[in-house]
Amino acid sequence: MHVVITGCGRTGRALATRLDAEGDQVTVIELDDTVERGLPAGFRGRFVPGNGIHPRVLEAAGIAHAEAFVALTPNDSANIVSARVARDTYRVPNVVARLHDPAHAPVYTEFGIATVGSVQTTVNRLIQMLHHRTLEPHQTFGNGETLLVRSGVPAYLAGRRVAEFNVPGEIGVVELSRAGHSKIPEASTLLEDGDVLSFIVATASLGRLRSFLGEKWS
Amino acid sequence: MRIIVIGGKGLAEQVADALHRAGDEVTVIETEPGREPALARAGLRAMHGDALVPSTLEAAGALRADVLVACTQSDEDNLVISLLAKKRFNVPRVIARVNDPANDELFNHSWGVDALVSPATSLVSMIRHET
Repeated sequence: MHVVITGCGRTGRALATRLDAEGDQVTVIELDDTVERGLPAGFRGRFVPGNGIHPRVLEAAGIAHAEAFVALTPNDSANIVSARVARDTYRVPNVVARLHDPAHAPVYTEFGIATVGSVQTTVNRLIQMLHHRTLEPHQTFGNGETLLVRSGVPAYLAGRRVAEFNVPGEIGVVELSRAGHSKIPEASTLLEDGDVLSFIVATASLGRLRSFLGEKWS
Repeated sequence: MRIIVIGGKGLAEQVADALHRAGDEVTVIETEPGREPALARAGLRAMHGDALVPSTLEAAGALRADVLVACTQSDEDNLVISLLAKKRFNVPRVIARVNDPANDELFNHSWGVDALVSPATSLVSMIRHET
């Protein structure tokens, strides 16, 4: 896969190095041409000095034949401009940008640009580790706003209906494991002691889920 | 006319002031902190804020503006602000400043820009025509 990356800071360098090691063809665009020295010896990718918002710089980086583009500069508007040019002008099928200031998230959303938000992801993860150590996620979605967590059902909840855990927009029971068998439960399914449930939960509602599961569990 | 000007000291403030004197209803989204009081004394409505945040543009009256001028010293910011103004707020006329002539080609309708002001390009073309 040919990947073009703009921004060769810590993240850009680490991503470029990793992709190169995994056999991808990598081109890095960076405004500061002294940064090239920061790439590891043996890096087989290309380095193109310049501003990644300029079409001619993107073209020099081979954007026209790239399968993916990643905007990782420390400037949100530069990331938005280059990501949108890569997607709309050069039809790059897979475009991702880094979101620096969470206040700018609505702009990326407005323009339909997928983001990885360092601040949001880190904060969501920290909150989880500080407050909800016992609800370890099996899968996180987006920038950690939504999680898939599993938990045993405490004995005192046996006999309750699955529907009692469902909170629209916050918590949903998506799977039930009972005696080694897994199934997708119905709202009316009655819980038994020893059941293990998978929940899809908004990170902001983890506290609520924890309180449902009770002190005995945590 | 209701006009929003985004930018700081220099061109943005001068444009805002001149329009205000000409009788237009001007709101400035000041990108440099601490300059609002001076603008307010001159009779302009001024707010300090990040114009890349849609709520800032809305607070400045983007939904009712006739013209928006993206006049910051960052071409990337001016492009993103222009597209937000056109796409999200439907501002009838969006004018953007180009700081680096190498970016001229980006400032077009695909970024919501109806007209661009590129001082360097204008000067160069003036010199070419004069000589």
